[in-house]
Amino acid sequence: MNVCKFANFGFTVFFLHLVLLVESMNAQLPRERADADPPVDRLFWASYSIGISTVESVSARNLNSTVKHTFGLVDGGIDHFFGLDDGANTRLGLEYGFHDRFSMGIGRMTFNKLVDMHAKYNILRQTVSGSTPVELAVKTSVGINTFPGTGRDFSERLNYFVSVMIARKMGNFSLQATPMYAHFNRVSGNNEKQLFGLGIVAGLALNDRFSLGAEYLPVIGDRNPGTYDTAAVTLNIDTGGHIFQLFFTSSQWHNESFIMANNRDRFWEGEFRFGFNIHRVFGF
Amino acid sequence: MCDDVRQDVVYITDSGHVEFTSRVPLHTFTGSSDHLHGLIDFDENLVDFYLDLSTLKSGIGRRDRDIYRTLNVDDYPFAEFTGTLSTSFDQNSSETQQVEVQGEFTIHGVTRNVTIQGTMQKQGEELYLTAEWILNLEDYDIEPPGILFYRVNEEQELRIEATLNSAPKEEI
Repeated sequence: MNVCKFANFGFTVFFLHLVLLVESMNAQLPRERADADPPVDRLFWASYSIGISTVESVSARNLNSTVKHTFGLVDGGIDHFFGLDDGANTRLGLEYGFHDRFSMGIGRMTFNKLVDMHAKYNILRQTVSGSTPVELAVKTSVGINTFPGTGRDFSERLNYFVSVMIARKMGNFSLQATPMYAHFNRVSGNNEKQLFGLGIVAGLALNDRFSLGAEYLPVIGDRNPGTYDTAAVTLNIDTGGHIFQLFFTSSQWHNESFIMANNRDRFWEGEFRFGFNIHRVFGF
Repeated sequence: MCDDVRQDVVYITDSGHVEFTSRVPLHTFTGSSDHLHGLIDFDENLVDFYLDLSTLKSGIGRRDRDIYRTLNVDDYPFAEFTGTLSTSFDQNSSETQQVEVQGEFTIHGVTRNVTIQGTMQKQGEELYLTAEWILNLEDYDIEPPGILFYRVNEEQELRIEATLNSAPKEEI
């Protein structure tokens, strides 16, 4: 009998404790996410895959600085130190995020002493929930050939570019299709004034520090004589402060317009070169 | 407690300020959020705060995303404290008073019992609160992010500051 009374008392204490616990939990604030449908993180590791722009944007009030290098063909052998003895094409670039979805940038490269300015806008953001299944961005750019002594007037030195970037991340793998159009105000010989291309960019994150990437840029329709579709592969390294991209590519150029117009090397025939990009973001 | 202390109100905020300071060799950076949610119920002696960690901003978007990955925000989106006031607080005084809370702090899916000192001040119908403490990342199974050969210091300095408004308890 006493045992029974003790058991009842124990049950009552346990029940009261449970009720108090539940009441205490109910008194807490309900936990709510600030953004119930957040965007997918890091489709690509930098705003350039290698030579093709990606949907990755520069955050608001951030300045992304980029240094891009490509050297001579690796098949030059040890005599040319696998292309590093041959002239490098270097592009220095800055891109500022005016908004998390809108940025503008400027760059200058060795070849043609080309100065290019661009604007990029992210129209859609892929969301974790899948409510927006893809990322969509547009980029427009104008380039100016500043090489002296060519006899060209200002307008003849200009070229224009527009591209649409459609990307999706699936697990650790990201894929981007980039229809693009380039226009050159003046061209030499039988070169085309207008070029269309379809850039394909792929990325595979191995972990938080390393990822692999590849890009392929076929020219669609008429193309310049003696040019070939460009291919490239890269290893991306995130050091915490910088993104390093170490790559092999067939084209020595650093923007899509001139990659389409001037690549005369065939990646699949072993005609590729070493290059690297370095990205560093500063906050303001 | 005096007779004119109302027991049918609580103090709440959804815009408290949180700031953390991280140190790496030769460099210090801070991050902050103005999305701290909080509730203080003197009648029930309940102190409850939470922060959506994805609202923390350090000024560099890429670094923010590194922080979210380090904290595994997708799986553990909140830092939370639920506890009680372990010192007295005179609601009839407008003076700044030293207070202490005891309770459970949870981040990265790990819960620890903590005691935190701070100040509270009654300002009319509002309650102004500040607190500072050190959070050790290792205590919460958070691996300090590294940059090449050095890593972020395990000890993070945290500071919160919030103005809580009084609200009828039945509306909460």
